[in-house]
Amino acid sequence: MVDTLLSGQLLFAALVSGSLYALVALGLNLVYGTLRLLNIAHGDLVMIGAYVAFWLFTLWAVPPLVALVLAAVLCAGLGWAVYAGLFRRMLAKPALAKRVEANSLILFYGISVILQNAAALAFTASPRAYRWLDTVITWGGVSMTLNRLLTLGVAAGICFGVLAFLRFHLFGWGLRAVIQRKDAAQVVGVNIERVQLITICAGFAVAGMAGVLVSMTEQITPFMGFPFTIVAFVVIIVGGLGNIGAGVLAGFALGLVETYGIALTSAGYRSILIYGIFVGVLMLRPEGLFTKAVRT
Amino acid sequence: MKRPNSLAGLALTALMTLASTGAELAADPIRIGYSIARTGIFAAAAPSQENPYLLWQDQVNASGGLELPGGEKRPVEFVSYDDQSNPANTVRIYERLITQDKVDLLAAPWGTPMHLALAPVLQRYKFPMVGNTAASVQLRKVAPGYIWFTTSAIPDSMGTEMAAMLKANGMTSVAVLANELPYAQEFRSFLLPALKEAGIEVLVDQSYPPDAKDMTSMLVEVKGKAPDAVLALTYPADAFLFTGQARELGIAAPFVLSLIGPTIDAYRKAFGPGANGIVSSAHWSGQADAWPRGKAFFDAYVAKFGEEPDALDSAVTWMSMEILQQAVAKAGLDREKLREAISTGTFETINGEVTFEGVQNTRTPTGFVQIQDGKIELVWPPAIATAEFAPKQGW
Amino acid sequence: MSALWPLAGIALALLGVAAPFGGNAYATGIAFQVAMWIALAQSWSMLSATTGYISLGHAVFYGIGGYVAVLMVDAAPFPAVMLVAALAPAVFAAVVGLPVLRVRGPYFVILTYGLAELVRHVVMRIESALGSFGRMIFSAPSPDALLWWMVGLAVAATLGAWAVRHSRFGAGLAAIREDEIAAETLGVPTARLKLLALIASATIPGAVGALAMMRTGYFEPGQAFDPVVSFTIVTMALVGGTDSVRGPILGAIGFALLSEALWSNFPQLYMIVLGAALIGFVLFVPQGLSGVLDRKGGRA
Repeated sequence: MVDTLLSGQLLFAALVSGSLYALVALGLNLVYGTLRLLNIAHGDLVMIGAYVAFWLFTLWAVPPLVALVLAAVLCAGLGWAVYAGLFRRMLAKPALAKRVEANSLILFYGISVILQNAAALAFTASPRAYRWLDTVITWGGVSMTLNRLLTLGVAAGICFGVLAFLRFHLFGWGLRAVIQRKDAAQVVGVNIERVQLITICAGFAVAGMAGVLVSMTEQITPFMGFPFTIVAFVVIIVGGLGNIGAGVLAGFALGLVETYGIALTSAGYRSILIYGIFVGVLMLRPEGLFTKAVRT
Repeated sequence: MKRPNSLAGLALTALMTLASTGAELAADPIRIGYSIARTGIFAAAAPSQENPYLLWQDQVNASGGLELPGGEKRPVEFVSYDDQSNPANTVRIYERLITQDKVDLLAAPWGTPMHLALAPVLQRYKFPMVGNTAASVQLRKVAPGYIWFTTSAIPDSMGTEMAAMLKANGMTSVAVLANELPYAQEFRSFLLPALKEAGIEVLVDQSYPPDAKDMTSMLVEVKGKAPDAVLALTYPADAFLFTGQARELGIAAPFVLSLIGPTIDAYRKAFGPGANGIVSSAHWSGQADAWPRGKAFFDAYVAKFGEEPDALDSAVTWMSMEILQQAVAKAGLDREKLREAISTGTFETINGEVTFEGVQNTRTPTGFVQIQDGKIELVWPPAIATAEFAPKQGW
Repeated sequence: MSALWPLAGIALALLGVAAPFGGNAYATGIAFQVAMWIALAQSWSMLSATTGYISLGHAVFYGIGGYVAVLMVDAAPFPAVMLVAALAPAVFAAVVGLPVLRVRGPYFVILTYGLAELVRHVVMRIESALGSFGRMIFSAPSPDALLWWMVGLAVAATLGAWAVRHSRFGAGLAAIREDEIAAETLGVPTARLKLLALIASATIPGAVGALAMMRTGYFEPGQAFDPVVSFTIVTMALVGGTDSVRGPILGAIGFALLSEALWSNFPQLYMIVLGAALIGFVLFVPQGLSGVLDRKGGRA
């Protein structure tokens, strides 16, 4: 038992799923943080990224690493369309902006339904999969499939890259300002609309890239997205809504909890454990475990 | 006054138009209704069922139509709706098909929950339907039955057959990992006593939720106990997870079962040679010489859809249509006569002869297949096997 | 406006009466659906429209009611089953209510969703531990009888929602919606009012869930606690409009009939059209169907 817990194998598994959770949640957190929108279509962008990778690989043997770029561009374009077409209008109307949670919920529900069913119509619902870089290597007694190792590397790379960008680039400052105090950010001259547009594009792009990574190891179907939406919400709640760095940390934490939680109890408790933490955090510490309490 | 009720008005008009067109069309073609999960959690499984329906329709119509007693042939037309993977919708759709669309025949929806929910509806309207993609011992409680289960993959006999197969191949210990969804749990409930009976030791027995994302902890435990056989009672999504991670860990058991999933075309595309040696649930193989109709079906399916038929779902779906077709040829469209014909008849199918006792197909042996060289081979029971079970040689 | 609610109730009852005697099972099926969504959306509005606490977890009440009903139905008289199915989620709401209702805004939305999922997984675990794998229901009342029950629930929920809105209780809830902190300062017992609203809002959905399981004839936790139920309730209530008791009725009827019509006529595209309709609705009809009627009425 103790051997199992100390083995690198579990740590590797936990880090792989943790990095994916962090990546998927990162996009959702960016969009929530700056726009206060509950994007329940988030997982469907993961689905789109997965299909991009699948088709590029299957039709033209384009490796998923290249698909990462294309999926990001496609999803960013979608983000732009959604922002320009729907949310600019919604956020501008006081009557709509007043009930932003409920309205964004319904809007994104509509978008989610459209994306899923458009994909089903275009590609059929038949599950898809492909095989790429699935050699298993053993290193220090830990077996790793190369594409999972790559997932860990790329996902963690993107997460920390985005964090570094937010910390050191001027745009990042503006973005963090918008997250924390929208009104004040405007006063000091941050172009809020530009920040919002770029953020929604970036948030969507990150989800698309996560989809490419997911496609290497899971079956791809038009309805695969929703679980990712849920996981992303769990992560950003545990980290703290709108707190980008804490969200990444929470993603990894969730991966660890899932893998080690199962090892310590039983697989049957996996979902109860995760939703239990989720509900517990929301009830007891809604600002998130990794965020300093803010008095309002 | 502008149309304040335009939404409701539009809806009602549309409903009425549809109701009237429903009656007019009934004249010439034979109309067959079904519901299918085009959207929702079961949607990924539905094409393996709907494709055989469409192929069957093509073939029947190409041959002049569905034959009635006396040799008259009428073309076949489908009426189908999306049940959104929700059994409540399935119930309403079949009520609609029966009372509103007034279809001549019914084909089955996808999945055990849908079939179970449908049984009382068929009973109420005395409308016979040959089921396909469903299996549960609970169905035996339905009497006298306007529904039949084409598959022989019923959990109780699967439990005993699995134990027998393990024993015959010299396996003395197993690890059982079961999805919490109903079919896997039902199989598990019959499997465990059967294993005990056969003197096979259960080293690991874990259930996991359907949304599990990582199985490493479970599989590390399995690897540590080194059982002869790993029996993963999977559904398609977690079949991918299980296989990928078992492969990563290099689980060395010579016998690896993944209950549902491996017969799907995409599964073999995902794992290539790594899928070789995996045992799964199905009682049909396109490779069997004993069933010449099977090869023809297999080839026609590949030609039309560009991928292989699912050895479980597509096969039982096709069988259900063969049975319906032969019963209609004998009894026509009268529901009671049709029921009689299905209950008492013997049918030629791609899986050999089928007869029903109660709700169950008692002729087709409960079997298991194994992926060998990328092909689905029947390896159990020996009487119908197309190849011998070969211990899994690595991933 | 308040004169409209009994009209709506009566229209509803008539719809229910007409359907079985129309002899058409399909019409009975639609009537059942419409009545079900009215009952659910009205119940939801007792909490969410009045206080502004948007619940995305009403499937939990529906599921709990369905589950206890399925466990009891073979052993107890049907009215008793219905009573327990309504009380069980009310008790659940009373137990979890206080901590849940301390959470506000988007957190509340997400929390209610998470709570429903948590209960769903706990029930799945219980069922798997009991060695149960989906339950068939053999002793369900006839579809016509179930429709009668459902129409009764729809009327009861409508009356309940009306009573809540037109009472001091409702005035207190409205104060919470407008400014909870100010209300508290003025001595409104916000915590107690919110808890009562939650309990009121949870009761009828339990009974509705029981009827829905009976109608389907099959129970499985994944389907009984289906999050789509929660989403649909919110959608219908918002489409109808949250400012009056008419809103949920209009929303449920409009949405149910629209999806029925689309589903029958565009089997491939209907979900896409429905999604587009939702988006258009939020953007262009923010006050809901009820708001549109008000404006038309005002001008005429």
